[in-house]
Amino acid sequence: MSVAPHIFRRAMRSLWENLYLNSVSTGVIAAALVLMGMYLSVQHNINTAVASWSRDVHVSAYFRPEVPEADREAIRDRIARDPNVVRVHYVDEEEARTWLRDRVDGLDEVFDDLGPGVLPASLEITLVDDGDLDAQVAGLDPWLRPEEFAEVDYGREWLERFDTFLSVVKGLGATMGLLILVAALFLVANTVYLVIYNRREELEIQKLVGATTGYIVAPFIVEGLAHGILGGLISIVALWGIHTVLAARLELALQIGLMPEFVFLPFSWVMALLLCGMVLGVGAASVAVTRFIATAP
Amino acid sequence: MIRLYRVSKSYKDVPALQDITFHVAKGEFCYITGPSGAGKTTMLKLLYGAERPSTGKLLINGTDVGKLPKRDLPRLRRNMGIVFQDFKLIESRTVAENVGLALEVLGTPRDRIRRQVEAVLNIVGLRGRGADRPDRLSGGEQQRVAVARAIVNDPSVLLADEPTGNLDGAMAIEVMEILQAINLRGTTVLVATHDTGLMQRFPYRVLRFRAGRLESGGRT
Repeated sequence: MSVAPHIFRRAMRSLWENLYLNSVSTGVIAAALVLMGMYLSVQHNINTAVASWSRDVHVSAYFRPEVPEADREAIRDRIARDPNVVRVHYVDEEEARTWLRDRVDGLDEVFDDLGPGVLPASLEITLVDDGDLDAQVAGLDPWLRPEEFAEVDYGREWLERFDTFLSVVKGLGATMGLLILVAALFLVANTVYLVIYNRREELEIQKLVGATTGYIVAPFIVEGLAHGILGGLISIVALWGIHTVLAARLELALQIGLMPEFVFLPFSWVMALLLCGMVLGVGAASVAVTRFIATAP
Repeated sequence: MIRLYRVSKSYKDVPALQDITFHVAKGEFCYITGPSGAGKTTMLKLLYGAERPSTGKLLINGTDVGKLPKRDLPRLRRNMGIVFQDFKLIESRTVAENVGLALEVLGTPRDRIRRQVEAVLNIVGLRGRGADRPDRLSGGEQQRVAVARAIVNDPSVLLADEPTGNLDGAMAIEVMEILQAINLRGTTVLVATHDTGLMQRFPYRVLRFRAGRLESGGRT
């Protein structure tokens, strides 16, 4: 003889009979997971972008205006022969203007007003990423002399500062995520407790006819699992919707090309969110029933 | 069957039962009676494990209920039927579901529950009422549902706490006749009541309590 079919049937019945409170529990789990999912999505996209920036170790060297065109090409060819250099691209003022115009609206008039000589010509140098960036950049020093170049931007310093900033953001995000989960656990546990409280007489009668604690508790755990699965699925659909709407708008707004493209969370992260919902639902139900059992006669 | 030896129960320092000793044999029908506050309900609570004796020994079928771990209480109650004055039926469940509850907790398959519930509803005179909700039944019928739930798993002991307290004369007699019939099938029945008329009409051994003490009827 097995009590499992009875437990499952009771859980399904309770889900239906306490539809409002169960919807609240599911909604709270879904909302918490949406918040977490949005944070994870932002972090995932930034990680992807930073990884792509890190892969392309890049140096921009800006020519002094007085360096003749022929010398610029000679310097470019010398640098291109360096074994640490993957690629060198000479960007003249016209190309720089075109690149900026394509990405930022309304610059035509500004450029017309300013006239020529606003944007310096540059060499865009891509280095081999062998991990020892400092040595590679030092190897470029003989070619990037101050009398020929007004400014050299190694990019990496900015990247490292950005990495530090990202570490702080990740720490804050993890703390916030934890707080959101604890708050959701508290809210759902209280909602499930209300469901249990509504049925306290029934549960007391069950105890009087010989129900074990496991038999009394199990339907609520099943309900918690259902809240978690449903909340998780709702959050995934909501996140997909938010991603679809926001990604297109953000890509339009951030045309400068800093981000490769906005991608949705990887499958494993989506599954982790669903699992998180299930743990949240079951955890909250466990907290609520433990509280009830401890105080029940 | 049921044996108490010098059982006392206090709530903080207030004694509810003092030095109770009696024995109820298997298949016996017994009344627990006395005025309000005499300790009848506390006595029944001790018997079904809702309370524990402060001192003394309480044995049911050889099990020391006072020392029974909380996790083993369900096993004790599965061999026991309990009927309350206020019926304790679940309003949102049908009569059949209320009665079947005692079998559900045992994991009995649904078709067997259905058969046993039908049979026991016949015994208590509620044939064909399984689909009704308790609020559609009279007080007497509701108490019969409670009795049906108490006997559906064929317990060896039936405890009834003022089972006729909320019923008028005719309905009370009907319920007592059912309890009597259950006793004739071999179930030990203990009924807490202060209805002397019923005790005269259905004469059995009486355990008389007063101010937490057993005044008469105890056997050692």
